[in-house]
Formats: sequence, structure tokens, C-alpha cells
Amino acid sequence: MICPLANVEKVFDTEHGVVYQCSRQNCYWLEFQGTTTAFKISDLFLFKKRIDAIDIEAMLSESSRSYDFEIVMPFRTERCYLLNVSDILNLREILAGTKFMIQLNSEVKRCLRRGCVIA
Amino acid sequence: MKDLLKLKSSLAEEIENILNAQIKVEAHASALYLAMSSWCDDQGFDNAAAFFARQSDEERAHMLKLFKYVGDRGGRAISPEITNVPTDFESFRGVFEQTLEQEMFVTEQFNNIADVCMKSKDYVTFNFVQWFLEEQVEEEYVARRIIELFDVIGEQGTGQWEIDKHLVKVTFDEA
Repeated sequence: MICPLANVEKVFDTEHGVVYQCSRQNCYWLEFQGTTTAFKISDLFLFKKRIDAIDIEAMLSESSRSYDFEIVMPFRTERCYLLNVSDILNLREILAGTKFMIQLNSEVKRCLRRGCVIA
Repeated sequence: MKDLLKLKSSLAEEIENILNAQIKVEAHASALYLAMSSWCDDQGFDNAAAFFARQSDEERAHMLKLFKYVGDRGGRAISPEITNVPTDFESFRGVFEQTLEQEMFVTEQFNNIADVCMKSKDYVTFNFVQWFLEEQVEEEYVARRIIELFDVIGEQGTGQWEIDKHLVKVTFDEA
């Protein structure tokens, strides 16, 4: 559950999960698989890199049962994600959309700042 | 929505990635020169061994300069994994030819970084890499001049001993 004092705005959502930004605590909240996890921005991007680096091809082609799931325990969280291929794809979609929206927000802010100062 | 991205870092992701890639290049160069130093020492080329040991330190200093810059700008510098460091070399001359190739490769990398900085209008980083580009003029000059010693002195007889003796005197003199 997100901290009740948090001042959150939705960054990106899909039917499988959602990411909120808390501008009070300068962090992001990821809701996924029925859990909520807070990330600092650098940790969120590292988490995305970690998820993007998972070799899905190997998971699909290897017959060993250990390849059916990937365990991901992001640093500085108390979360342990147990992900199958479908979860990974869903999580990648959420994180890619989130990253894009964060960068878009940054770009919009830059343009607005410029407009305020120069106009 | 507050811009948490800019609060964290002034470096664009692309710039941070190419600087981290360059950190790896410099670290590899440092390891390569250390390997060359060891080989030269083993072959009895004392001055060349000392020369490459100094070069190795210099490359590490370059790596740390990049490392600090990435951190100073809010990025995350990555301590690189170094692999494929050779332990044996073809010849005395070959070591210096490989050095020149390595330095030309580094110059090309910094040119690419400057190009990316220019395209993404990151003139702060563009300005930062100017120091490295100037440094590369010296690095390439010294390596090329030492290779020329092999032709000027010749490797026959005591030639290699003479080359080893004279290579420390090669210095770059800015105009």
C-alpha cells in the first residue's frame, strides 16, 4: 500500500500494473502482481535494465523447470518478484511506458522553463 | 508533475552510456599497457617496461577523470569488467604498433563522443572531452615517433638496446 502521506500522480498504467510518482518523497510506486514497491528514480531505471536484460528466449527454449521463472530482488526494497515469461513482458511494458513518460515530462518541463524565462 | 529526472542527473542517458563505455575503453587500455610493461620487462627492455607502466597509470587516471565527471553530473559511473587482456606479444616493434593502433582507436572514440554531444547539444560534456582530444595528439605522436626509431636505428645488432635506450627521450613539444 502506498504511504497515505504520499502525494501521488499516475505516470503510466496498463491492465497489469501502474506506476505513480510521489513528488513529496521524490520516488515512484510500482503496483504490480498485487504488491506496491517504492523506487528512487535511479533504482527504477536500474530495475528496468535488470528486467530488460532477462533472456526470455532462453526461458522459452530451455526445458529445465528452473528456466520457467526468474527471481528478481531489487536492492533497497523488500520485494521479491517471481516472474514467468508473461509477467516479464507485462512488467517490461509498464517500465518502458513509465520511462518514456518520465522523459517526456522532463522534456515538457524544459520547454516550459525556457518559455517562462525567455518569453 | 515534478521533474525527478533532472533533479537526479544532468546527463542524458545516451551521454552517460557512452561515457561509461569510454571508462571501459580506458580501463582496458590501462590493463593492456600493464601487460605490455610486463612483456617488455620479461624481454629485458627496461625503459620500455617503465614507459608502459607509466602509460598504464595515465590511462587509469583518464578513466578516473571520466568516472568523476559522470558522478559529478549526477550519473552513475560503472566500474568496468576487463577481459581479453593479452599476455604475449609478437615483437618489440609490434608492441608499439599495437600502442599506436590503440591510441588511434581511443581518438576515434572521443571523436564519436564529441559528435554525440554536439548532436544532443550537451556542450558541457563536449567541453569536457576537449581535454582528452588534445591529450590524444600527444599520445599518437609519441607512439608514432617511437615506431620511427625502429627504422632510424634499426633492430640489428645492438639496435633494440639502442631503441630501448632512446625511446624515453621521445617527448611531445606543443608549438
